Amino acid sequence: MSYPEVIEQSNQVLKALVDAGERVLGYIYPHPPHEIIIAHGLKPSLVRTNPSVVGAYEASLQTFSCSLTRNLFSQRVNNSFPQLAGIVFSGNTCDALQNVGDVWRKRFPKDNVFRLTYPVGDLGASSVDFLAMEIKAFSDELASLYGEEFSESSFREAIMLLDEIRNALQLLYCVRILHPSLISYNTLSSLVGEFLTAPTQEAADRIKMTWNEVQERIENMGQRNKVGQLRDSLLNHDLSDFETVIDTSGPRIAVIGGMIEPNTVAGLLENVHGISDTTLVLDMLSFGFKTVFTPPVGIEDDPYEESARSILGAHSEPTQEGLPKRITFLKDVLTRLSIHGLIVCEQSFCDPDEFESPSLERAAKEVGVPTVKLPLDSELSDRARIEGRIQTFLETIDDN
Amino acid sequence: MNDEKPYRKVETQALLQQIAFRHGMEAMAASEEGTLAWVSSGFPVEIPVAMNVFPTYPEQAGAIIGATKIGPEVCGFAEDLGYSQELCSYARASIGSTDRPDDVAMGALPKPQALLGCNNICGTILKWYDANSEQTGAPVFLLDTPPLEAEQKPHHRAYVKQGLERLIEFLAKTFNTTLEEDRFREVSDLSSRAIKLWTQSLKACQNKPSPLNCADRFLTMAPVVSSRGMEHCTEFYEVLLAEVEDRVKQGIGAIREEKIRLLWDNIPPWFILRFFNQLAAQGVVFPADTYTHAWSGAVEGTDTDSLLDGIADIYSNVYLNKNLDAKVDKMCQLIKDFDLDGFVMFSVRSCKRYSLGQLVSKEIVTERTGVPGVVIEGDMVDSRLFNEAQIQTRVDALLEMFV
Repeated sequence: MSYPEVIEQSNQVLKALVDAGERVLGYIYPHPPHEIIIAHGLKPSLVRTNPSVVGAYEASLQTFSCSLTRNLFSQRVNNSFPQLAGIVFSGNTCDALQNVGDVWRKRFPKDNVFRLTYPVGDLGASSVDFLAMEIKAFSDELASLYGEEFSESSFREAIMLLDEIRNALQLLYCVRILHPSLISYNTLSSLVGEFLTAPTQEAADRIKMTWNEVQERIENMGQRNKVGQLRDSLLNHDLSDFETVIDTSGPRIAVIGGMIEPNTVAGLLENVHGISDTTLVLDMLSFGFKTVFTPPVGIEDDPYEESARSILGAHSEPTQEGLPKRITFLKDVLTRLSIHGLIVCEQSFCDPDEFESPSLERAAKEVGVPTVKLPLDSELSDRARIEGRIQTFLETIDDN
Repeated sequence: MNDEKPYRKVETQALLQQIAFRHGMEAMAASEEGTLAWVSSGFPVEIPVAMNVFPTYPEQAGAIIGATKIGPEVCGFAEDLGYSQELCSYARASIGSTDRPDDVAMGALPKPQALLGCNNICGTILKWYDANSEQTGAPVFLLDTPPLEAEQKPHHRAYVKQGLERLIEFLAKTFNTTLEEDRFREVSDLSSRAIKLWTQSLKACQNKPSPLNCADRFLTMAPVVSSRGMEHCTEFYEVLLAEVEDRVKQGIGAIREEKIRLLWDNIPPWFILRFFNQLAAQGVVFPADTYTHAWSGAVEGTDTDSLLDGIADIYSNVYLNKNLDAKVDKMCQLIKDFDLDGFVMFSVRSCKRYSLGQLVSKEIVTERTGVPGVVIEGDMVDSRLFNEAQIQTRVDALLEMFV
């Protein structure tokens, strides 16, 4: 599915939800408290960039605002967003989102703009406490604005729903890593896309159905346990004990970067001449792997604390402390999962992406994995050149 | 022909060279002794200073690299390592000068044993220091001060205070040192005194003519950034304030003929500080700016606990850690208090935290104060991103409104 088709499909799903009387709350940063939002009777939905919308931001933002915020702002100016009941901006994640949230409030005073501030520091319990308080304040704001109090039963149902979705997607990610011929990256990225559009029961059913189909084949191969072990290792951010034999007859590529959708990457690869369906085995993107490999929300303690613990248990973003840990994990992924090449995505004018990518490239080179850096913008304005770079990179790896 | 310059040099500036030299020597000695930390400008330096950890400032080094006009070359060293030209030029200058110190005449810093960053000035600090950490092997300590929407909430303050307690542990472990309450109080008092003297000098610019111009303040702010909590810093600001007060008493302005009073918003273009002197020839003075007013919060407290409370408050409430409304309020207040005719917003491509939002705040500030403003775009260190002719045209258009 091409990225414009993804957007079209996403818009249709959101329209159907709105027509059915649902309220959709858009989010930008990939780690919203999904379960809390659902517990207030809202549907969380990723606000997507749209490559066909260009240049309507200039009266409010400079050109050096990141391409993601420029694109979102342009869409809003052009009224091309799906009907959202509100939009959640993250605070303390990057300077662009921090400031653009303020600008948005000024330019569109009738929009319901929320700010959820995240801790950057890796302070353990202090970070959890801080985020829990922020989520509680956010929850109070939702209740006040939409008149729907936090519902304990809806919260528990949401936990189960999100568990179903993430659990199946995690297993599918692992199958893709270990046996890429069993599920295409297109299929996997489409399912992740459905989750991001809206974590509904229908989306969960489709994701589970795909897993059921794949599971049967994995079990026939006697690999079910290995898939489970890999899932646990990835959830624990530790591959040091994971060992397996991987078929490396074809090139195995991973892609890493910030707030880029797996669908976007899948769309780029579609047009690369001669690429095999089994080549891209793993994305480590914020809207893909990092969103999916979020630990479940517990039900023992305070819901806000449990929610905060889950969010902070996900693989850390470039906006957070922990580069050395991310580098160690990346090296483990590259070596233990037999990756032959790494594509490093760098969103235009995105400080976290652009600062982290040289470290990622150095780390890959240290373990003998070649890399290619892809500067991307939301409009994919340089698409032909990007595809050319990927193709040249793959040819280089083939030659080795 | 009259060769008299349109501006008057501040005599106290002569002391800056001595302070910079002294600071550089002490930083080198500290590096050799294993007690040097690179520190971000908004970091609560009172704590490391009280624990005998010597601070030096990559941002200030970036300003020096900019002022000595080697910004493009040194930033280029970082670009050669894979860092995008779209990134902060202070960071690129720092990464570049750390990679090739022998190729940087001025602005390369001695090797640190720790990197102390506080994200109250921007989110870039963490990423920049992460890169420096990979280069030097020194560990990064981040003091996380989440941006404020309005008043600081109790859980924000508690979180920052926990960060400060963690900082004390980090310094104790890294440098084998302790925080003694008496020394902490003494350093905090010195820091507060320097800041109070500095803010008195800033406030004196409400007078007409203004005793200081933008460039004067950008240069004389150096000690309050680099040497807060040290005796010589306080002494410097005593001398500066005496000179400023003397100018006020005698009616001597920073420029010969003050006609137009403007507000400056953002970091200056360090490589072209003459920009302000050229405008002085047209009778334009900048009695206030948002940048040098950033160092205005004095740390107060009677014991370690209350000092930490004070630091958690003051260092979270800095200008850049507040929302757009607070920034607009500050600009409007400065325009009113300093009786300014207009404002210039320097849109710095390097600095998203400072610059994104300026297009909107320009409209609001004009609406609220009735004075016109202009946005000019460029950079503070990387002169490749500065089009002087284009900027002059825009500023001229603003000045025409006052004729």
